[in-house]
Amino acid sequence: MSNEKKFKEIIAQYSKVKPEEMTDEMRFREDLGFTSLDFMSFLGELEDSFDIELEEENAASVYTIGEALDLMNKLIEE
Amino acid sequence: MREYYPLTAAQKMHHKWIMDYKTQQVSGVSVVVSLQVPLDFKILEKCIKLEYERYGCMRIRVTKPDKDGNSKQYIVKNDEREIPLMDLRYLGSIKAADDYLQKKAYETFDGDNIPLCDISLIHLPEGYNGFFIHMDHRLIDSCGLVIMVEDIIKLYSHFRFGSEYPEDLADFKTVLLKDLKKASNEKRFMKDKKFWDDQLDTLGEPLYSDIKGKSILEAARKKHKKKSLRAADIEMDNLDVKVKDYYLEWEPTKNVLAFCMNHNLSMTNLLLLIMRTYLSKVNDNQKDITIQNFISRRSTHDEWTSGGSRTIMFPCRTVIEPDTDFLTAAYEIQNIQNRIYMHSNYDPDYIVEEMKKRYKTPEHTSYESCYLTYQPMPVKINSPHLDNFNVHAKWFANGAATKKMYLTVSHTPDGGMCFSYHYQTACYDEHDMELLYYYMMRILFKGIAEPDMTIGEIIKEV
Repeated sequence: MSNEKKFKEIIAQYSKVKPEEMTDEMRFREDLGFTSLDFMSFLGELEDSFDIELEEENAASVYTIGEALDLMNKLIEE
Repeated sequence: MREYYPLTAAQKMHHKWIMDYKTQQVSGVSVVVSLQVPLDFKILEKCIKLEYERYGCMRIRVTKPDKDGNSKQYIVKNDEREIPLMDLRYLGSIKAADDYLQKKAYETFDGDNIPLCDISLIHLPEGYNGFFIHMDHRLIDSCGLVIMVEDIIKLYSHFRFGSEYPEDLADFKTVLLKDLKKASNEKRFMKDKKFWDDQLDTLGEPLYSDIKGKSILEAARKKHKKKSLRAADIEMDNLDVKVKDYYLEWEPTKNVLAFCMNHNLSMTNLLLLIMRTYLSKVNDNQKDITIQNFISRRSTHDEWTSGGSRTIMFPCRTVIEPDTDFLTAAYEIQNIQNRIYMHSNYDPDYIVEEMKKRYKTPEHTSYESCYLTYQPMPVKINSPHLDNFNVHAKWFANGAATKKMYLTVSHTPDGGMCFSYHYQTACYDEHDMELLYYYMMRILFKGIAEPDMTIGEIIKEV
């Protein structure tokens, strides 16, 4: 399974939006219905699933699926 | 072969209170849900029995504590008890029935390896009918109970009116195993530990603040003969609790909600700010304030529908300068809360242990007098066949408080808000709660009307 697919499947555990309906522009709070707790818990899930370390400052500037995916891919490459 | 599992951090929190206070009463949770319409009790009974099958957390048993007070849990396959019927129509009024149920809520589940969940069908006065749930918090939290009530209503609607059968609920055991795996992830544990230890490294020992002001800390300093003591005593013997509810009407609530929405603030953080500002005001403008805030760790679909006890409390500690404006202070709280959310898999008992180790605080002392829960989920009757009828749904306090003051804020069916103050009578009286609510509201409405005003100015003005 590609990282992007796995990533979207994790998002789908928190949201009513199906993976195939997700677009890069979708915002976590407004479009996917995440609360602050959901978002922070989701970041923790990403860390565990992809074995990456997210800096809290970087995570704070993530608003959309595309931004989160870019950040995640960058951290996986590192 | 029976499988045994450790308790999760949230379950351990309740278990520890039971052990420390030597009564299960501190872990009781009760709710009555009823409608002003005749119900088919044969069908309702069938739905409740079915719920025992669907909602695995209802079948949890807790083993006898070992020599260190630790217990394990297991889930029995079936729970085929009869569902009793309580007929309270003879009491004549809902008020009298509520008083009766309040006493039922004080009852304890005594023993090990026993069912910790009782549900009764209930006839109430004034034509109300429904069910009364009495459970142990190690099995469920209030969000879990709301989901359970909704599921029973959906089942009833299906069997009584032919509406759609409700979707399956998540398997409790699967979610439990996932939680336990997360908790035993060493890398995550170290990261969480670092976050909480860093806070103590940066800010040092917390400082107690009381609703009644500095005199409480001074009394503790005198008692323990330690002038530098920064924690105050907890009441361990007299757990008698009283509840004082205040209602904020729809119109002012609308303004508060609009303020939160317009400034991207969560209600919890706004409540934490007004509560900490009051504590600062009555504790000689103390800047370093800690409030225990309850978090319900339900984010994924499975976490929402698996039941279980997922609510856990973490200290929200902020040091806010008096020249900070109201909105900036709210964002400071939001920032720390977001970071806490990221580290909320941590067992808060480790934070307490670390502080005891560092600061050698005396037994049964604490840095906090206030505990907060924001409960955005009301008990709802989600059925087109039943939602036209009057509902009587009420939560009952278990009558034994482990905390000096525990505020639950919830939304009312008319769009307003309820501020429910549970206070230990050994520490406070109704007048203390009146003052607390009065000033919290003054601070709230001053702050949202003039968010550029500084905390120092607000404290002076209200």
